[in-house]
Amino acid sequence: MATSPTTVVDQLLAGLHLPDGFDAVAGVIREFLDQVTNSAIWTRYGQQSLEWLIGMNPVDRLFMLSALTLLLMLLLGRLRSAGVLAVLLYGAQFAALLSTDTLFGAPLAAAVRITVADQSLHWSYDALSWFFAMITIGTGFVTAWYAAGSWMRRYREAGRSARAFHVALALNCFGMLLLVGSADLLSLFLGWELVSWASFLLMALVGGPAAQAALKYLAYAISGAMLILGAIALIYGISGSFEYDAVVAAIRSMTDAQVWTLLLLLGGGFAVKLGLLPFHLWQAAAYAEAPGAGSVFLGAISARMGLFGIIVFIVGMIGVSRLMTLEIPYTFMSSRELIAWIAALTIIVPTYTALQQHDARYLLAWHGIGQGGYMLLGLMVGDAVGSAGGLLHCFNYAITQAALLMAVFAVVHRTGTADLNQLGGLVTRMPLTFLVLLFGIISLAGLPPMAGFVSKWMVYRSLITEGMPLLFVAAVVGTLGTILSVYKLIHNIFLGQLRVEHQEVAEAPLSMLIPMLGLSALIFLAGFIPGPALSWVAQVQGQLGLPVVPWVLGGIVDPRGGLDMIWLVGILMAGFGVGALVFYGFGGRSRRVHQLDNYAGGHFLTADVHYQYSDNFYAGLMHLIGPWYRGSFRWLERSLAATLDLVSFGAEGLYRLAQPTLLMLAAAVAMLAWVL
Amino acid sequence: MDWLSAVSLDGLAAVDFRWLGLVLELILMPLIAFVVGLGLVLMLRKIAARLQRRVGPPLLQPLWDIIKLHAKETQTSHGLIHEIGIVMAIGGYVAAVTLLPVPGMNGLAAQGGLIALLYMTMIPSLGLALGVGQCANPNGSIGISRALTAMLAYDVPMVIVIFGVAFHFGSLNLVYLIAAQQAGGIATWGIVQMPLLALAGLFALQGMLGKQPFEIYVAPAEIATGPMVEMGGKFLGGLFVMQCFQLYTAGVLYVALFLGGGENWLTFLFKVFVVTAIPMTIAMVFPRYRTEDMVRLFWKWPTMIGLLGIAFVMN
Repeated sequence: MATSPTTVVDQLLAGLHLPDGFDAVAGVIREFLDQVTNSAIWTRYGQQSLEWLIGMNPVDRLFMLSALTLLLMLLLGRLRSAGVLAVLLYGAQFAALLSTDTLFGAPLAAAVRITVADQSLHWSYDALSWFFAMITIGTGFVTAWYAAGSWMRRYREAGRSARAFHVALALNCFGMLLLVGSADLLSLFLGWELVSWASFLLMALVGGPAAQAALKYLAYAISGAMLILGAIALIYGISGSFEYDAVVAAIRSMTDAQVWTLLLLLGGGFAVKLGLLPFHLWQAAAYAEAPGAGSVFLGAISARMGLFGIIVFIVGMIGVSRLMTLEIPYTFMSSRELIAWIAALTIIVPTYTALQQHDARYLLAWHGIGQGGYMLLGLMVGDAVGSAGGLLHCFNYAITQAALLMAVFAVVHRTGTADLNQLGGLVTRMPLTFLVLLFGIISLAGLPPMAGFVSKWMVYRSLITEGMPLLFVAAVVGTLGTILSVYKLIHNIFLGQLRVEHQEVAEAPLSMLIPMLGLSALIFLAGFIPGPALSWVAQVQGQLGLPVVPWVLGGIVDPRGGLDMIWLVGILMAGFGVGALVFYGFGGRSRRVHQLDNYAGGHFLTADVHYQYSDNFYAGLMHLIGPWYRGSFRWLERSLAATLDLVSFGAEGLYRLAQPTLLMLAAAVAMLAWVL
Repeated sequence: MDWLSAVSLDGLAAVDFRWLGLVLELILMPLIAFVVGLGLVLMLRKIAARLQRRVGPPLLQPLWDIIKLHAKETQTSHGLIHEIGIVMAIGGYVAAVTLLPVPGMNGLAAQGGLIALLYMTMIPSLGLALGVGQCANPNGSIGISRALTAMLAYDVPMVIVIFGVAFHFGSLNLVYLIAAQQAGGIATWGIVQMPLLALAGLFALQGMLGKQPFEIYVAPAEIATGPMVEMGGKFLGGLFVMQCFQLYTAGVLYVALFLGGGENWLTFLFKVFVVTAIPMTIAMVFPRYRTEDMVRLFWKWPTMIGLLGIAFVMN
């Protein structure tokens, strides 16, 4: 029998092993599908396209669906139902990704190839591509859902184009899927540029300060792309080919000086996207000012494309062991320690910048930059547990940051502000959003029982067992700063005094709550049972040639100190049970009082008294470390921009004032001097 | 009845009863921690009393205090999170003490090592911080802001100490650390092998317990006892229970890292009480630092001593 929707659904249902009660449900679905398949339109078009879709190369199918999403959003993005359509299409992309079976199965090349000037661009999916594509599509899915209902209505009412938003999101996903599937230098560069411009589109959508920040990003992104182009030229000059196999061979034959150059070019280019120090200044504003749902997508996954590049080239092709042999002259450091220290500084400096923010969106965006440091740090340690921790943190961080940003933008949706000094006490009005933010901050700060703890624990552990005390202290100092900062976040929004103007605020709309709660559940599950995510990471490690982490369902097994989250979370829940028993089981009944029924040193509180501690939350600490914030990086950026300005001004003046012929002559002389 | 005995005996042999022992340990360990914690609180108050030429409270006073606070008629709640905060504060420690090996019982020490323990003990603090936050009293919020700043201060030397010990013995597993220290008597104790780290750890202990000169977040005359400002009745009782666990955890952790853990209950309890008595005694002769001074002090002396200690350990 030919393939029909009925047989596909039958196969799916048989695979699920549902209990008998579901037969009735399956019957209804089957009946509906029979009616569809008997219709004239189906026999004319549907049957054929379904067979074509099923018979297709799985990677092509993924690309096709992603391109279809883009196309449909371009055509139908104006419609009210476009949001729901987008959610379905991202869901279909996710299913298509799963059907490629490239995580546990063999790598799979796409049948699509483009040949330009005798060079062919091609794509292939393997475990690493699968891992990053899974995070990308998953983020796209929850973002689209978050944006589909009430959020998009408000967005339209503000006079903004829904189509532009949908297209930007779809283009971002499409670009990332192409990038992570790239199988040669040219397709990599194509994907890289697509991703860069797509994120610019998403950032610049709403104009104003967002467009300013997006332009700044663009300046950084173009310089980064130039560096990568330079690296590609360097590799091509040695290997004579853009194919990865030839590239690996070429890198092996390179001298140390050449590898250093390559490292600086590639590292610099990818570091811009990842927001590594000192290229981090563009990121917070660009991500925070983007429209809510767009900010969620950018914050959760966009910057990780830089990390993907670093993994492919620096971890995969050059290799951590080669990095260790590259000594920096006149120091005791190798290039691996240099990168690890850049990662550690990227953890500390942006995290403590986040501590000073008054805007919840900026606070989270700065943390996003800092968390990238943990991923790179784990990868640079390079042992089984450390590199797995770094990779796992990509996933854990993505779900955490998406949930956090969604909660913050839900508050913005209801109250109209993200200013941490203008909020407070919202837990009584938006309890579920509070819960989502709570799960998120526990995970971001890396405390049990949430997902973030597992990946950060792995990074710490590898730093201890590999004997890197200062990096370990740096990583923990970053975590402590995160705890301080996220407590301020949840305190200033949800705890303390509820303001008069927020007395009537309602809980976030359901369309936004469902993805938020789903992500929160995932954050908890990925902390409770880290095994599945660890199994993905282990596949990626195996493919990259890294030592593979000894994982089990509950965590890591190791005689030198393992981790079993199932036990830890279980005992924590039991402990909470005992705590509840002690608190609720014994003693008098507690009585709820009004928030103004409070100790105020003998005064009586009234509704017009603002009785809340929010501004300069860590005043004591800032007395000490406040003067350390000198804005050195901003100064560096400004001086660079000023230098460029001066050079262009000089060039312009020369061109305008002096004879153009003189300029040509000067240029020719300079050229000759350089050539000879 | 030959076949019956054969069947039942085979059945018995096949069933693994070790899990029953583990469950028993998981019930006993928090109970012991609480009782020992009560004793530590009593010792704390006795030391304070003797230094002030008072007699001090009787043996069961800490227990009576908790019972009294729970039994009070006025129990003022500022909302659900206020209550959940207290539940988390107690529950987090009930869970955390099962990661701390005591003589004869290892609990879950093998399932989560030193780092897991360190982060597990942050859960009660987080619960307390959330609960205080909902009270909507700036005094409480300032108290939490100071408490978190204090944590940032003392955790830097603390993690240096943890790194040093873990690196020296090559393990994060507390069971292994204790066994390695007990292998050669006092000569293999952490304090003998790593005296600098033990000194830095003592500093960190003082900050961890929030005793003078580091009690910046209670500060009765400045911020009206900070986190406790809106706590009365069983809310305060819950914090009292939390304090028992906190003293126990800090004392036992130090003993496990530097004093070879417990060979038996007698030496174990002796060590724990001696270690915990040190911060109490120091506290009585100090006034209170300002927040920034506390941070500066912790980032300077114990951090330097700890780093020096690590330098010795790693060479």
